[in-house]
Amino acid sequence: MNQLIAIMQRELRHELRSRRAWLAILLYIASTVYITYLAFQHDLEPVTWNALFWILIIFISMFAASGSFSGREGEMLYIYILVSPARFILARLLYNGIFMVVVSIITLLVYIMFTGNPVGSIAVFMATVLLAVWGISSLLTMAFAISIKGGGGFTLMAIISFPLLVPLLIIAQHLSSQSMQPNPSEYIGNLAALLSLDALIAALCYLLFPYLWRD
Amino acid sequence: MTQGILTAKWWKFLCALLLIYTAIAGFLIPVPAKPILHETIRNLYFHVCMWFAMMFIFTVSLVYSIKYLMDPKKEFDIIASQTANTGTVFGILGLITGMLWLRYTWGETGKDWWAPDPKLNGALIALLSYFAYIVLRISMDDEQKKARVAAVYNIFAYVMMIVFVMIYPRLSNVDSLHPGNGGNPGFNQYDLDNHMRMVFYPAVMGWVLLSAWIASINIRMEKINSYHHNKI
Repeated sequence: MNQLIAIMQRELRHELRSRRAWLAILLYIASTVYITYLAFQHDLEPVTWNALFWILIIFISMFAASGSFSGREGEMLYIYILVSPARFILARLLYNGIFMVVVSIITLLVYIMFTGNPVGSIAVFMATVLLAVWGISSLLTMAFAISIKGGGGFTLMAIISFPLLVPLLIIAQHLSSQSMQPNPSEYIGNLAALLSLDALIAALCYLLFPYLWRD
Repeated sequence: MTQGILTAKWWKFLCALLLIYTAIAGFLIPVPAKPILHETIRNLYFHVCMWFAMMFIFTVSLVYSIKYLMDPKKEFDIIASQTANTGTVFGILGLITGMLWLRYTWGETGKDWWAPDPKLNGALIALLSYFAYIVLRISMDDEQKKARVAAVYNIFAYVMMIVFVMIYPRLSNVDSLHPGNGGNPGFNQYDLDNHMRMVFYPAVMGWVLLSAWIASINIRMEKINSYHHNKI
């Protein structure tokens, strides 16, 4: 447990220290949202609003995730001596999950500021965003670890993570289009599906990461 | 042991026999005449079997990927990668036969190549993730690292695919046009006189065996390649 917290603290310090990283993400959010606003002005139907939101989330989370392992091969060697790979991936999943949730909430706020808010049921929508973003971040963490080993960086990550992201996105999009009505019905089953997918991804990361780690 | 099965002859003769039977009986034996479907129902002997063969061969690939992670032998990696390649070919054939079929049975005849259907989405996602597997393998040079990383990805992709195929049709607001889904009759309801079963079951077996045959040839070729590669 202490190790988990220590790794997460270290990640946070690293993130805060390199101001370039989080300023870049903020700028990325602001500019992508603004471009969608310019393209559509105020004529966003709820369906389009929904679709655009998830497209923004994919690209922003890819951008954010690509910063997480890069340029730190030497440091990895140091951590390799100190902690077990299972602990390390748990800490990473937690840290990246929290980080991505914060990023997506900022995205949502900026997006609502520019394009308005057609959501009918805030509770269902927020639950969807939290669960979906958590799943996306774990999946991207794993995909990025794979692509780093593959030596391909960002391009390889995009190729291997898109097909795996689709299940999450389809469920999330169903749920968020349901949440456009004030009192959605039958959303519990879909939320449970999303939650179980998150759990599955986390379990797969936990089981498979040690094999990536060894070198 | 694996070598013995790969080079054995009997199941290849069986495969050829079954497929010849499928091709002849599949087109000649009478099928129930139904509106819209008409003779396209014969696609059952080809399209559906492609998916059976694909799932079979991808499962073999999964098993050998797990085996490789447990015990990193080069042979396991060769089997895992070659079966994945073969499965992809069957997946493409399954998609093409399905697209041709839906062109004449769904919507306006001869107009659409694609429909927003859970089955189609699932199939496409499965294929895309195996294309990604191939790209991942190509992009790495170090043999052992390639094998390990590819095995990890293979397990990840396979599990995600299976779970997605199970969860997706059960979501609310999702309906499928595909026979056997969303209240549409599958072939069981059409096949009243068991004529179709007589062809369908042998056809599934034949195509599955064919996928194993193709994979076994690929595996042997890859083994020879890597043997030569190591010698030089």
